[in-house]
Amino acid sequence: MIKMIDVCKSFAKGKIKAVQHADFEVKRGEVICVIGPSGSGKSTLIRCINGLEIPDSGEVYIDGQPLHFDKLKDQIPLIMRMGFVFQHFNLFPHMTVLDNLTLGPIQAQKKDPKTAVELAKALLKRVGLEDKMESYPAQLSGGQKQRVAIARALAQEPEVLLFDEPTSALDPEMIGEVLDVMLELAKSGMTLVIVTHEMGFAREVATRVVFMDQGQILEVGTPGEVFDHPRSERLRDFLSRVIHI
Amino acid sequence: MSLALIEKILTPENLEFMIKGAGYSLAIAICALFGGSVLGLLAAAAKMSHFKILRAISNIYCEIFRGTPMLLQIMLLYLAGPVLTKTFLDFVYTPNPYIIGAVAIAINSGAYETELFRSVIQAVDKGQWEASHTIGLTYFQTMRHVILPQAFRRVIPPFINEFIVLIKDSSLLSTIGAIELLRSAQIMTSNYYNFFVPYTAAAVMYLVMTVTISNVARGVERRLAESD
Repeated sequence: MIKMIDVCKSFAKGKIKAVQHADFEVKRGEVICVIGPSGSGKSTLIRCINGLEIPDSGEVYIDGQPLHFDKLKDQIPLIMRMGFVFQHFNLFPHMTVLDNLTLGPIQAQKKDPKTAVELAKALLKRVGLEDKMESYPAQLSGGQKQRVAIARALAQEPEVLLFDEPTSALDPEMIGEVLDVMLELAKSGMTLVIVTHEMGFAREVATRVVFMDQGQILEVGTPGEVFDHPRSERLRDFLSRVIHI
Repeated sequence: MSLALIEKILTPENLEFMIKGAGYSLAIAICALFGGSVLGLLAAAAKMSHFKILRAISNIYCEIFRGTPMLLQIMLLYLAGPVLTKTFLDFVYTPNPYIIGAVAIAINSGAYETELFRSVIQAVDKGQWEASHTIGLTYFQTMRHVILPQAFRRVIPPFINEFIVLIKDSSLLSTIGAIELLRSAQIMTSNYYNFFVPYTAAAVMYLVMTVTISNVARGVERRLAESD
């Protein structure tokens, strides 16, 4: 489904090596959780998958089709096969929730507005917000905003959803409602790639867990392998700091 | 200064003459504001473009018209225009001071509005561009549906402020014979050999226009703040 080959990305003229030689594959139906300390390049890695960051080198394939970063303008159909959920939601503040969901389908997919609205309503129901259709983002709580953002990403009918720390900007009491929606998506068989600090969630839903540190993918394995039998010193060290039992 | 003198100068006919002048001032300011916003939007788009040449043209435009006095620009356009057409096209015309004046102010205002538009467009959170990218919008769709509607709300208060500035700037056209508010007051000063009454009356009329507009601006600002 997604294949990354030797992807490198640095910032500040090469001084900050955010991602180094990342090789990685996501198969259809997998739920991948990417974990690692802050600044380890998790977000940069997931942003390279759909062109939000342009890698310095390396290749990304979506279902065998290469993503040409030098002409992203012509890659819209490919990019739209991947939905993206941001840490800070990035909802359109001047539009109602319903319009947030239908903008992409109507403008980019040229869907008939009636069909788009019906799909949007169904998706809002799925995330439990059908009564917030006419609200503006500013009137919603953080958890509600993120659920709308997930519904917006689903509205483009993607084959895979990418999450960039979807619960990191939320108040603790709202994390659960967002994780519940993601859990339901995982159970439905959707392919998910999730950058997260929620270790309990990763252990529960991930088919594979990816551990990144200092821009490198250090370990990939089942939750059991990664959490219970870490091979590298850095992963053991990381887990000892984030898991408090 | 007697009340009788004021009554003698500010007759209904003279007041009508000045109000007509104020009408011209307002009309010139409105034309310049909208002409300037067309220029400003184009130049702002050029300034943010990927093409170096467009950015350079936009920068030169802004530097020239912000770096020279508006009065000089008005005079150049009004006085030098016919000379240029005579020299190069062998064609002489009598410039209309209202039209040439409004055009000159529009070009000048456009240079300032360029920065205004550029700053509000760039002030929209870059996450909005990113979200638009992920849902498949093109550059123009993003501009039209996501960025410009948000920039538009932020531009309203400074835009109204620019309108106030232009009402005052329109008084510069008194130098090229447009009978706007200041010129109408000047004409009366020479008719009555009195400076105080016509100029004070003109000042009051300018204030009525500018204070009204800034009150409207404050109301709009408050409403925008509430809906955010």
